[in-house]
Amino acid sequence: MTVPAAFPAMSGTIPEAIRVTIVQGEAKASTDPRIEMSTILGSCVATCLFDPVARVGGMNHFLLAEPPSHMRHQSFDSDYGLYLMELLINEMLGLGARKSRMRARLYGGANLNPDLSPIGSVNAAFARQFLDRENIPRVFEDLEGTQARRIQFRPASGQVRARLVPSAVAPREKPLGRPQSALGTVELF
Amino acid sequence: MHASQSAPIRVLTVDDSASMRALLLGALTSRGFAVEQCEDGQEALEWLASNEVDVIITDINMPRLDGFGLIEKLRTSALHAERPILVLTTECSEEKKQRARNAGATGWIVKPFDADKLTAALRRVSH
Repeated sequence: MTVPAAFPAMSGTIPEAIRVTIVQGEAKASTDPRIEMSTILGSCVATCLFDPVARVGGMNHFLLAEPPSHMRHQSFDSDYGLYLMELLINEMLGLGARKSRMRARLYGGANLNPDLSPIGSVNAAFARQFLDRENIPRVFEDLEGTQARRIQFRPASGQVRARLVPSAVAPREKPLGRPQSALGTVELF
Repeated sequence: MHASQSAPIRVLTVDDSASMRALLLGALTSRGFAVEQCEDGQEALEWLASNEVDVIITDINMPRLDGFGLIEKLRTSALHAERPILVLTTECSEEKKQRARNAGATGWIVKPFDADKLTAALRRVSH
């Protein structure tokens, strides 16, 4: 996301918000204090990363694909989740963040239908494992449960507001899978 | 019989993400490659000072020495001036791709990678 290089100082006032919705399959970062990223999560998980020194924040929103019923022992499409995590981190690095300073907050991963497999929990487990492997501290999480959530994130300050919302508000999302157009494109020079 | 045809292709992967290293290690070893791994450009440079590989796969965004810096330094060394180097990145900007090409990269692969396409590229450039 492009942001103004120098936003005029606004001491004591909260700048008017520019709302940006993060939909499934997206990862965006910003340093702009006016930006408020928001999303609604059912089974999907959103990662909010923040570098408090560079004051760069970013959010992604993913739902990993469920394997077919005869392959339940297999892992979900974690390669795609990994891609969305990397995309988020790289967006932030591009704005001056450092991976070693990043802190994570995790939201979502609800299991909305008790009769279905706990897809939210599996997505939550993936996010936790990724952050632990990358040594990015998980400073807060509001994961799983049975209710949908609305998340509002100010990337320049790292502030997050999370509220439970009626599950009917959450979109019935299906995993998107990978972007086919760019899938592993190999270009030899 | 040519020993060079049966010996596994030796690949060095350079990526600061432990998750990505694990993914590459699994994908490449299961397809018959001999894989070594480094966590950033600096570690790769030090390792390559005294080790040989057939192909290098490197990320761009890394601490200490990034992918551009790694390629530039390797191209000035007698040992690795001709070594195939593939960039594997989530970056899709034309400008960064040009920069990698100017630095001397052999190819550019956009993540999320397809393991079969990646291995085909590795076999092609390592000959």
